[in-house]
Amino acid sequence: MKSNPENATLQSCLQVAGPRRELAIASLGCLLGSTLLLLALQFFQDANQYLDQNEGPKNYFTLNKKVEGGALVNLGKKDPSFSPAELESIRSLEGVKRIGGFVRNQFPVTVYIWPTGKVGMGSAAKADLFFESIPDDFLDFIPEQWNWEENASFVPIVVPKFYLDLWNFGLAPSRVEYPTLSMEAATGMPIEVFIGQNREATLDGRFIAFSKRINSVLVPESFLTWANQKFGQPNTGDFFFLWKKGSIDGPPRSRAELIKMMDDPAFASWEVSPLGNAADRVPAPSVVDSEEKIIHPSRIILEVVDSPSPSFLQFIEENGYELNREFPEQDLIKKAISGLFLGMGSIGGLLSLLSISTFATSYRLVVARAAEHTRNLLLLGFSRHQVSQIFFARFLRLFFWVLGGSFILGHATKYFLLIQTAQINLSLPSGFSPESLILLGIYGVLFCWINKRVIEKSVIDLIR
Amino acid sequence: MLIELNQIIPSPLPDKVIDSSEIWNLNLVIQPQSKTLISAQSGLGKSTLLHLIYGLRQDYSGQLLIDGKPARDFSFLQWEELRRESLSLVFQDLRLFPHLSAQENLNLIPQSNPSSPSIMEMADRLGMNSHLQQTVSTLSHGQRQRIAIMRALRKPFRILLLDEPFSHLDEMNQTLACELIRDVVEQQQAGLILSSLGSAPALSFDDQYSL
Repeated sequence: MKSNPENATLQSCLQVAGPRRELAIASLGCLLGSTLLLLALQFFQDANQYLDQNEGPKNYFTLNKKVEGGALVNLGKKDPSFSPAELESIRSLEGVKRIGGFVRNQFPVTVYIWPTGKVGMGSAAKADLFFESIPDDFLDFIPEQWNWEENASFVPIVVPKFYLDLWNFGLAPSRVEYPTLSMEAATGMPIEVFIGQNREATLDGRFIAFSKRINSVLVPESFLTWANQKFGQPNTGDFFFLWKKGSIDGPPRSRAELIKMMDDPAFASWEVSPLGNAADRVPAPSVVDSEEKIIHPSRIILEVVDSPSPSFLQFIEENGYELNREFPEQDLIKKAISGLFLGMGSIGGLLSLLSISTFATSYRLVVARAAEHTRNLLLLGFSRHQVSQIFFARFLRLFFWVLGGSFILGHATKYFLLIQTAQINLSLPSGFSPESLILLGIYGVLFCWINKRVIEKSVIDLIR
Repeated sequence: MLIELNQIIPSPLPDKVIDSSEIWNLNLVIQPQSKTLISAQSGLGKSTLLHLIYGLRQDYSGQLLIDGKPARDFSFLQWEELRRESLSLVFQDLRLFPHLSAQENLNLIPQSNPSSPSIMEMADRLGMNSHLQQTVSTLSHGQRQRIAIMRALRKPFRILLLDEPFSHLDEMNQTLACELIRDVVEQQQAGLILSSLGSAPALSFDDQYSL
């Protein structure tokens, strides 16, 4: 309403002392409620944004059979790979979208990593390693240079992001010769890849990306297929006990070794049994005659629609499988954030509702205290809008102070939080997002609209 | 403004009063631009009649028509508009704002009539010039009555309702006020309904009724 002498007179007519205690309570409730709502909304967005930016796998799990006990015990364990029937059972489980097998290397791999950026300069980190591959569409992203063509000497490698963290926060601080590495520096390190027991081949490798989804050392599927064919030791791990005259003869023998024994005249009388079940003896020729063992994946990656269903988990439990998921704490964090958001939002909403109600009651009282003059003005022909506007402007002045206070309090709280989170290397955006401010605006408009209606009704009731 | 009262009986009013009335429970037409005097003793419904026409009361039986339309059907907004543009009432209890000055009270109207005399002219004619800056609470009742009459005349109206407007005015001031009222009403080509306790004001009336 414009400020002119007539309006000033009008205002002075309706100037009555409001119920101070009620208005103070309503203002405080509104201040706290608005601040809580604003912060809840902003924290929810900040936390989700942070988690999205630092997100691990969402609905991806790896599955393998449980390995228990010591090394000697495990010599007699069952084959850890999944049979086609088992894979099919898993694929048909409720909530499973797709599955893919990990293909592993069938040859020894040793790598020399040169953190200085040049082969031969400084100390190399040496390690016996393994390679795995999965279908490309299970990768969280397809990095550039992820192509491998036959006989190419360069091998692109993807390792989990936390390997780099282990390097930077575990290995490098403990060894003076190893520098800490940024992601860019780590992708620039040359890696010598030695293949075979006697290093039959040497290839150039490089970490080209760091995965947040797959917990393995990955190389392109095409490379691993080629390398397994070229350098692979057939039937690795395909060992049997050899039985001669009813007792086990020597250490377990590979299928290849058994084939070499075929020329022995007594071979037909010998028996073999799998390591997993020594009592299950069969004639040795039957094993040699059988087709070469097809290697099935012992670890699979699967994508589920959402969180694993109870029936899915029951299947895993009953079959003695092990389900792994990277960053499982992320679920808990998200649940905690949702809970916090709901809690703060609910308390903020409740306080806001109470403050709306207290404001409404207070302004009814203000109108009632100015009832005689209000009625006179209406009888003189002033419109209810003109008269209500006087009370509403008074409410607005108070409300904008409260809303402004809420904004400042919210800012201060967030600033304090930013300082706290910075100390644990967590960076959150400062200030409030446009979405939060828009919602604060909508909240303010709604709050004003409700009180405007209450005031108008109180004014109309005076003359009805 | 044409006012028609068809068998109006306000509630509560004793049967005895209704039976002897020249207005209640009868058909009565108050023509546009006519001057009507309603005289009666206290408690017979003079203020009630004016309040019915001003839309302050709905508790009556019968039918009240304003410009041919049932007043009962008027919306809140229509009443607002009527009070702002067509009706002006001098309340018996004046309804001034005691904490404001006389001048401020005269200015506190939603819409002023450009053709009505200025505040100064009216104050001059009613002998209120020297009291305009006084707060109303310090004025005598007679002075307040004159301020209330001036305020009612400053508004635009098609009918002026005056509820015992001269009860605290001496004869000379009554005459001055009547002359001012007559001039403004005639200049506005408006009607007038005046209620009085019995004494006839110095105005000529087209119709006179007793309650």
